[in-house]
Amino acid sequence: MIRAESLGLRYPGAARPALEGVSFSAEAGRLTAIVGPNGSGKSTFVRALLGRLAPEHGALWLAGLPLAARSRRDVARLLAVVPQREAPAFPTTVRDFIALGRYPHGGAFAGTTAEDRAAVATAAARADVEALLGRATDELSGGEWQRVRVARALAQGGRALVLDEPTAFLDVAHEMACFELLDALAREGMCVLLVSHQLNLVARFADHIVLLHEGRVAASGAPDEVMRGDVLERVYQWPLVVTRDPAVGAPVLVPLRGRGAR
Amino acid sequence: MPLHRRLGGGPLLLAVCALAVACTSTASDQGTPLVVDDFGDTVRLAAPATRIVSLNPVTTEVLIAIGARERLVGRTHWDLGAAEVPDVGDGMQPNVEAILAQRPDLVVLYESPANRGAVERLRAAGITTIAFRTDRVADLARVAPVLGAAVGDRPAGITVAAAVRATIDSVAALPRRERPVRAFWHIWDAPLLTIGRGSYLTELLEAAGGRSLFDDLAAPSPQVTLEEIVRRDPDVILAGPAGAEAIRRHPGWAAVRAVREGRVLVVDTALVGRPGVRMGEAAAHLRRLLDDVRVP
Amino acid sequence: MRRPVWILLVAVALAAMTLALAAGAVPLPVGEVWRALFGGGDVTTGAIVRGLRLPRVLLGFVVGTGLAASGAALQSTLRNALAEPYLLGVSGGAAVGAVLSVVLGLTAPALLPLSAFVGAAGAVVLVLGVARAAGGRADPRMLLMAGVVVGAFCTAAIMVALATAPEGTVRGALWWMMGSLGDARWSVVLWVSAYVLVGGALLLWWGRDLDVLALGEEAAASLGLDVERTTRRVFLAASLLAAATVAGAGLIGFVGLVVPAIARALGARGARATIGAAAWLGGTLVVLADLVARTALRPAELPLGAVTALVGVPFFLWRLRAAAAR
Repeated sequence: MIRAESLGLRYPGAARPALEGVSFSAEAGRLTAIVGPNGSGKSTFVRALLGRLAPEHGALWLAGLPLAARSRRDVARLLAVVPQREAPAFPTTVRDFIALGRYPHGGAFAGTTAEDRAAVATAAARADVEALLGRATDELSGGEWQRVRVARALAQGGRALVLDEPTAFLDVAHEMACFELLDALAREGMCVLLVSHQLNLVARFADHIVLLHEGRVAASGAPDEVMRGDVLERVYQWPLVVTRDPAVGAPVLVPLRGRGAR
Repeated sequence: MPLHRRLGGGPLLLAVCALAVACTSTASDQGTPLVVDDFGDTVRLAAPATRIVSLNPVTTEVLIAIGARERLVGRTHWDLGAAEVPDVGDGMQPNVEAILAQRPDLVVLYESPANRGAVERLRAAGITTIAFRTDRVADLARVAPVLGAAVGDRPAGITVAAAVRATIDSVAALPRRERPVRAFWHIWDAPLLTIGRGSYLTELLEAAGGRSLFDDLAAPSPQVTLEEIVRRDPDVILAGPAGAEAIRRHPGWAAVRAVREGRVLVVDTALVGRPGVRMGEAAAHLRRLLDDVRVP
Repeated sequence: MRRPVWILLVAVALAAMTLALAAGAVPLPVGEVWRALFGGGDVTTGAIVRGLRLPRVLLGFVVGTGLAASGAALQSTLRNALAEPYLLGVSGGAAVGAVLSVVLGLTAPALLPLSAFVGAAGAVVLVLGVARAAGGRADPRMLLMAGVVVGAFCTAAIMVALATAPEGTVRGALWWMMGSLGDARWSVVLWVSAYVLVGGALLLWWGRDLDVLALGEEAAASLGLDVERTTRRVFLAASLLAAATVAGAGLIGFVGLVVPAIARALGARGARATIGAAAWLGGTLVVLADLVARTALRPAELPLGAVTALVGVPFFLWRLRAAAAR
């Protein structure tokens, strides 16, 4: 569904490339995660998907066609991106906010069609925000806001969903709820690609992990393959240990006391 | 015993010469007091001025009228009455260097806070500088004699002022109507400016048998609104050619009865433009304009 | 926004216009005003209402509409409630364009707004260029700072023009810069209205794009919007509006700042509703401000820009405090 082929990318005026020779693919029905330290190029990849940065080398593919070959509108109908942070300057109702997800489908004066209304209702139900539809967007809690944004992405009606650090500001309960939602979406056939810091949750939920390090792919594969102490230590430059959590049966990363330890 | 007997002939002659020189140099250092100008400074002039920079069209006119045209070495950019005289720039906040380049021995300016700095710089350069406020009719009678004295011919200045005054008085003495013609004088369009009590134009208008619609305002050129003019309902409108054109174009002026009934009079801006030596002619011109108007 | 509020907005606008037609140095009863509007009444009343006040009120309303719509659109684009054409240097650029046009003798009512638009568009290009050079392609904060810088530059350019202008015209130029509806000839009213209509129609047409743009750069890109192109278009349309108002009435600030805030406070959501409500409110505000300008200090007339600033600044400080308290 989403495929990167030797993708190389550089910010204008930068000495080092932000991404180099990155190749991986995210398929439908799977939850793929991109992880890595700060500055490894995770958000850069999202920007490339959004068309904000043009690749220097290689290519990005979406549903069989090069990304560049599709119009932005076309891309938006297939792929929804939930950015890391969003704070609209002016509040609106949650229903109107989700309805904006139908933008790629309508013209300048396209009224709300039955299809639009159905899409909004389905998305709201899927993201569990039906109770919030009448509220104003500036009155929502962090967790509610996150789910509303996911609802808008779902309303776009695409087959792929990309999220940039979706749980960055959420507490444990909301974090789990978010991952469970994403997992369910993947099970239903959506291609879910997520960028995250949360190695442990990613290890539990992701089908495929791509570990980036300084713009290159350091490791790629199932959680058990990628979550290895030596690899992670090298990439994160911190002493750590990977064990298996008996409660959930997934690899768990445990950072150790660092150089400043007593 | 008298000094000269004690000293003898030679030393006496020397002493007399020395004394004479001393007296002369004292005179050229200070000069006779000429006037206390409108900045409140006492201005002295040692000898008649021969190179005069006049930064006020009124004083330029006066100097020409008293026959001092050849002594003019500088005028403002806007003073086109003496075109052959070198242009030294603005009259307000003047370019002191351009003035100094003309090596004047007398500079005459308009009295305004904006010119204080220039006056000080010119005096610091050793140049006699006078500042006059020329806003009202009586200012001419004050200024002309001083300018006359500055060129060594005070009577000429007095004569010029007296002639203007006589003309104005003769206009004022003509038979008058029952009541003065109420005139709105359009000075400027945006902002809308007219004449108040502080302007010589109001005085000339009164001499010609009229009165300014806004003579209740003290300022020389107060700003007013078109609606207020409509409310006060003038008998006649006076305007320069540009002003008359603006009145013609703007639909709002039709609300003024005098405009609707065709009583917009065009004044000769060259005559009325400044309170100078043509004020008498200006008063006569106004009188003729008003005479032709049939006031309801 | 609920229907009763819309009806209220229109009603208040009509009431304000009627008041402005009736009040002034010559107070007229409302009945006479209505009669005069349709050709009746005595000559003087008719001349006052139709010749003096009506073009002025209409020009004021159109100017208010243009400024408010321009401000609403810029605020959506920049995602910042502080954005408005005056503060962003757009009005400043328009003023430079207009001043140059006057210097070149192009003062026809059809041409002056175009010259102002060229100046405003130039200012926009400068703003976008400065923001890009500073590293933020369409980053709202960069755009705002660039706008302030360009605005200052335009003011300096106008000062230079004034310094070299003939003595007598400086007062006129300063007067124009402070904003006035005094030049309300019918040709001016017509042309300013035409440009405001075009600009306003374009903004309403792009209303949906504006809503998406207001979500944020990344979200908007995610939804398939061409962020660069939309930002450019909206800036140009907002510039056309601001330029037309500057050409007709000089520099009037704070309308674009204050009115969209009031529209949102009344419940307007989404770009189309906000621009529409702001249009009615903006027109009302300028008409009333002009009424104050021509009656408060009789017989003199206050500059319109001063009145809108006296209203705008306290209002804005109040909103600022309310926002900070939240």
